[in-house]
Amino acid sequence: MILRRWLRRNDREANLDKELSFHIEERVAGMVRSGLSEEDARRRVRLEFGAVEQVKEECRDVRLTHWAETFVRDIRYAWRNLCRNPGFAAVAIATLALGIGGLTAMFSAFDTILIRPLPYANADQLVMVWDDLSKTDDRTRSAPAPAEWYEWRRFNTVFTDIAGTQPTDATLSGDAAPEQVPARKATGNLWSVLGVRPLIGRVFHEEEDRNGARVAVISYGLWMRRYGGSPDMLGRKIDVNDTPYEVIGVMPRDFYFLPARDIDLWIPASFPAWMRTAFGWHDLQVVARLKARVTREQAEQSMAALSLQITAKAFPRPHRTVVTWLREDLAGKTQTALVVLLAASAALLLIACVNLANLLLSRGLARSREVAVRVALGAGRGRLAAQLLTESLLLAGLGAFAGLALAVPVMRFLAGLVPETMGPARLTLDWRVLAFSAAAAFAAALAFGLVPAWRASRTGPQSGLREGGRGAGGARSYWFQHSLIVTETALAVSLLTCGGLLLQTFRHLRNTDLGVRQEKLLTFETPLFRYQEFGRRDAFLTALLEKIRGIPGVINAGATSQLPLKLNDASATFYWIAGQPRERIRDQVALIRFVTRDYFPTIGARLREGRFFEESDRRSDAQVAIVNETFANRNFAGRSAIGARFKFGNVGDQGYWYRIVGVVKEIHEVGMEEAERPAVYSLHEQGSDQLMLPPSGIAVRTAVEPASIVPAIRQALWSIDKNQPMWRVQSLEDMFARQLSTPTQSTALMSAFALLALLLASVGLYGVLSYAVTQRTGEIGVRMALGATSREILFTFGKRGLVLTATGLAIGWGLSIAASRFLNALLYGFRPDLIPTIAVASLILLGVAALACLSPARRASRVDPVVALRSE
Amino acid sequence: MGMASPKSDLPQGTLDLLILKTVALGPVHGYAIAQRLQQISRDVVQVPGGSLYPALHRLENRKLLVAEWRQTETGRDAKFYRLTSKGRAYLEAGSARWQRLSETVGLILAMAETPR
Repeated sequence: MILRRWLRRNDREANLDKELSFHIEERVAGMVRSGLSEEDARRRVRLEFGAVEQVKEECRDVRLTHWAETFVRDIRYAWRNLCRNPGFAAVAIATLALGIGGLTAMFSAFDTILIRPLPYANADQLVMVWDDLSKTDDRTRSAPAPAEWYEWRRFNTVFTDIAGTQPTDATLSGDAAPEQVPARKATGNLWSVLGVRPLIGRVFHEEEDRNGARVAVISYGLWMRRYGGSPDMLGRKIDVNDTPYEVIGVMPRDFYFLPARDIDLWIPASFPAWMRTAFGWHDLQVVARLKARVTREQAEQSMAALSLQITAKAFPRPHRTVVTWLREDLAGKTQTALVVLLAASAALLLIACVNLANLLLSRGLARSREVAVRVALGAGRGRLAAQLLTESLLLAGLGAFAGLALAVPVMRFLAGLVPETMGPARLTLDWRVLAFSAAAAFAAALAFGLVPAWRASRTGPQSGLREGGRGAGGARSYWFQHSLIVTETALAVSLLTCGGLLLQTFRHLRNTDLGVRQEKLLTFETPLFRYQEFGRRDAFLTALLEKIRGIPGVINAGATSQLPLKLNDASATFYWIAGQPRERIRDQVALIRFVTRDYFPTIGARLREGRFFEESDRRSDAQVAIVNETFANRNFAGRSAIGARFKFGNVGDQGYWYRIVGVVKEIHEVGMEEAERPAVYSLHEQGSDQLMLPPSGIAVRTAVEPASIVPAIRQALWSIDKNQPMWRVQSLEDMFARQLSTPTQSTALMSAFALLALLLASVGLYGVLSYAVTQRTGEIGVRMALGATSREILFTFGKRGLVLTATGLAIGWGLSIAASRFLNALLYGFRPDLIPTIAVASLILLGVAALACLSPARRASRVDPVVALRSE
Repeated sequence: MGMASPKSDLPQGTLDLLILKTVALGPVHGYAIAQRLQQISRDVVQVPGGSLYPALHRLENRKLLVAEWRQTETGRDAKFYRLTSKGRAYLEAGSARWQRLSETVGLILAMAETPR
């Protein structure tokens, strides 16, 4: 094949040679016949014919690069044209850069979070299995029980295998400063279900899980950070919660798994025997691998049926399960945010394209004379259209280039959108993003260039030349330009509405009353597993809080079993109010917190009624509790909760009766995405030996910058127990800001998109109207000469713009309502007012549109009929 | 695009039409085309090889012409060009366009000379 082509090329070379020498020989022969000497003839022919090699070269070029040459010529022509209109080029490229840059940046986030393969084998078969405890049809996700996992694993028919992980805290000590690390207990088959291998060493297997072997798999990060990447890591014994574990493997750097990317340690779950039947103990996270050809829906149905069957006999309330894609759980709310923002950026690019199509159409009309001349000179319509389209491609290419420069800083901002459940991902300009950007530019070029190119190439030579400057197209081209304006307005108003909705939600979240004074409140945690016995724990905590209060700059300090804003909190209890029938218990669940007496004053909580805990409550026989407003409203609607007696924790005959002494204003205990729940606060110092959760979360109210006293607090802690770690050190404000990062960013981006859309739409409207005025100067002149007043002219042109805008608005309302449905997931349960938002967005757009119309319309109304008619 | 000789100063695209017209009269080789153009135009049009041959090859490439090797009356091998049906259509459309344009241009020039 190659040989043949080579031979053919050689052939062609020989023929070219032959053809040219034939010409030269004939010419020489002719001259000799007319009397010249052969030598003279040759010299003259050489002069006349030109350099043979150069001619050959040109012939070859013609053959080999017909297409490429045409393209290069078109590009060059397009480039010259752009250089001749630098204003137009700058506006077009800037518009496109905004559109393509925004879309590219959004795509890179979308790709990284939702498309790129997860670091597991065949990750598209991986699902999570959750309990669905809701009594309604909405699928809720709650943690299953290990007891359920045993049953599921035995009886399910849809998974190849099913694994689970449990939360656990791990204090590493002995070999270096005590450090608390995020850790998980895992069933022995977790690794095979995920299909992952360690970087070095091995993972634990089921045998070890069953036998309770003390082995640990650590993260790459921990290996590097704490052990300096030591090569003899394998086989080393490390102290986890004061128990020696043997390190058997290190996971690769890019490995992560739910619930967070920063898990440093995995140890065998080794469920104790009692957990196998404890259907009330729910703290498992279950991941499973679908069998081949089983869909998620089938798995969900099958598992729901199985769950109902299992829980009917062994669970207080039969319930179903839901099966969700692992990816969905990893991405969480970010998924919706990304889809919404990607759609918004696509809409922005669309608006940019609409604007450019308009600009090109106007220019196309202005250039119709040039086109007509070219047609007259023999340019084919296809060639002309191709040439005009090349201009669009060049614009789009330059726009994409500028867009990439714009996308890079936006991508840095977007990196914050990567949820904490996912691996450490950086958004980079890799080939996927570049390819997407190129495709977007190409699509944009077609979108804004095709119709104008087609239109312009249809210009006839006569019409173009005869109609003078007014160009062809006339009324026919207006409807197209008008529909572009309508599209643009519709898109802009729906983006504005979405931006408005998100902005309201964001303001609502931002202004949420946490029930806590946020400023200068430092929080940290210190695990209390070394202080199981109440007396020791109380002594430790009292000493610690005393020492902290003694630090200069500290106002007060208190402890709680769970600091506010806890995501996916599971520490809840059934409760039973005196006088209720016992069956009510299983429907009554409240969050539970064990707090020290100083906790409420420290965080700045406020009372609705009653009192906070007091010194006299200590070690008193009368157990007291404080409840939150939601609890009070739900159980004591319309009357005071003070003095009421109820049981929680142990709701059986042995359980204590607690007396409610206070109702505290709602403290935002759960994550910002979650709805408020009833909560019960019990006093740690009363030292009940029933259900007890260690108050390992410490809150410190400071008079100075919270971060500045962290070293002093660490000193205080280590002076009491040098093996106590201090972790999750953060101010409440930081915690709050971090939880709002997704809404903050999506709101900021959406607002930016909406404002750009507004800007582009008004520029587009202005452009079309002023062009119409310019085009119709003659007509205006005639009408004025016939007696039309400037007011009438002003009205005619103003009306046209406003009618277009109004049409766009009407369509935009429909779009907005549809989009707002989709936005719901991003509104965090908040219901912003849709109709007023649409109304405000429409008014803004109308105002801007009126301004955009005003200047061209005024120009039209000031046309001097004499001048206008002379210009014809 | 190759340039015609300074003597003729042909507008762009015109050389193609002239070549096609010449070839339309019957299969002919490059040398003869040059000769004929010169004769018919009474020496106004003189096409150097650097313009003629690239143009011929371009037209062949665009399938407006086809070429074959044949012997001349003097018994030498030469490359003969012949018009294709596509070439004929192009020639007709081009001539008509040219006609129109020259009329228009003539009109404009005539107008410019009439006093207002």
